[in-house]
Amino acid sequence: MANDAVKEGVYKDMLLRGLWRENPVLRLLLGMCPTLAVTVAVKPALTMGLSVVFVLVCSNIVVSLIRNLLKPHLRILMFTVTIATFVTIADLFLKAYLPDMSERLGPYVPLIIVNCIIICRAEACASKNSLFISIIDAIGMGIGFTLTLCVLAGIREILATGAVFEIQILALQNQGGWFVPWAAMSMPVGAFITLGLMLALVNVITKRKS
Amino acid sequence: MFRLKNFIQQSWLLIVVSFVFGLLIAVANAAWQDEILQNEEDKFNNLAKGMLTEAAGFETALDDAEIKSLKGKKIKIDIKKAISADGKCVGWAFICEGSGFADKIKLVLTVDAGFDKLAGFGVLSSNETPGFGDQIKLPYYRNQYVNAPAAALTLSKTGNPKIIDSEIVAISGATVSSEAVIKIINHYIEQVREQLQSKGLIADGK
Repeated sequence: MANDAVKEGVYKDMLLRGLWRENPVLRLLLGMCPTLAVTVAVKPALTMGLSVVFVLVCSNIVVSLIRNLLKPHLRILMFTVTIATFVTIADLFLKAYLPDMSERLGPYVPLIIVNCIIICRAEACASKNSLFISIIDAIGMGIGFTLTLCVLAGIREILATGAVFEIQILALQNQGGWFVPWAAMSMPVGAFITLGLMLALVNVITKRKS
Repeated sequence: MFRLKNFIQQSWLLIVVSFVFGLLIAVANAAWQDEILQNEEDKFNNLAKGMLTEAAGFETALDDAEIKSLKGKKIKIDIKKAISADGKCVGWAFICEGSGFADKIKLVLTVDAGFDKLAGFGVLSSNETPGFGDQIKLPYYRNQYVNAPAAALTLSKTGNPKIIDSEIVAISGATVSSEAVIKIINHYIEQVREQLQSKGLIADGK
């Protein structure tokens, strides 16, 4: 009974650590390329995040299942083949059912193949742990990545256009309102500044906690 | 014999996994291919209709017209005729492609009914650098092609983009992408004209 409670606590901890303590973007600084590139608005950020969750879960499942058969010198090659397969499937799905979003994300969907988060989790977790733990780890990390992207994108979108999720929230000055859009927020500089401020905030909170 | 045995021992998992994954991608591709093709066709029609505003629809004028690609390979393309609501031919539209800065650029090119002037181009797919090469999709660059002569175009690094002639002003910071579009259009336009002339679909200029 006590053993079950310990296990449950471990699983819960694994699921939650991707959100804060080992957040892939804010703590591990992984996956910076899509973080900066697709966070102009929440919709593409959410699509990218969910695509990464799908690839992360599927690749962790496969890597965990074949972990005992992996040859040490071929493992990176195996991880890459696995990740590339699921990224191709995600890319085909977006092209078939979300063509506008696929076009908007452009090369960043195929670039998930080289996203460090996925290969990092395959190497650090899935290749050493059971299937269940690997799935929980993938979901935790994936949700952490998606949430961070959405928060970053939300800040940029509202400051750049006065809208969130393409729903107008702040009344624009050229439409009789008061808000003047910050054009820089929709440019790369906006991504760098917002991410920098978010990292600083996370560091301050972590220091105060410790 | 030892080498072969060692090779199989080391790589059997990779071979099996590659085969299974290849099969998985093939199944996904087969399952979604119809939707992807339909999306591409819808996009083609939307882009072409945006340029040939009088067009009510498109019908295939030349099926599998043989064209030499920029790499010198023989490829087949469909040349579509734009039909107005009263059944008149109001232009031509076809897909052309070539290498860009980062990846292949696929364009929809539209020409007027007499094949004298371009009606414009639309980007069907490209992976050009965001913020630089992908500006080929913007009106600033695309508008220079509307009503430009359907003949050899040239690229200029300076000039007035509002003057419509055979000289196209390059996008600052994206000369390679600008050049790629011109190269693709120049390469296809003459070959398509020849194809249509040989079938008697447009007047022979000779």
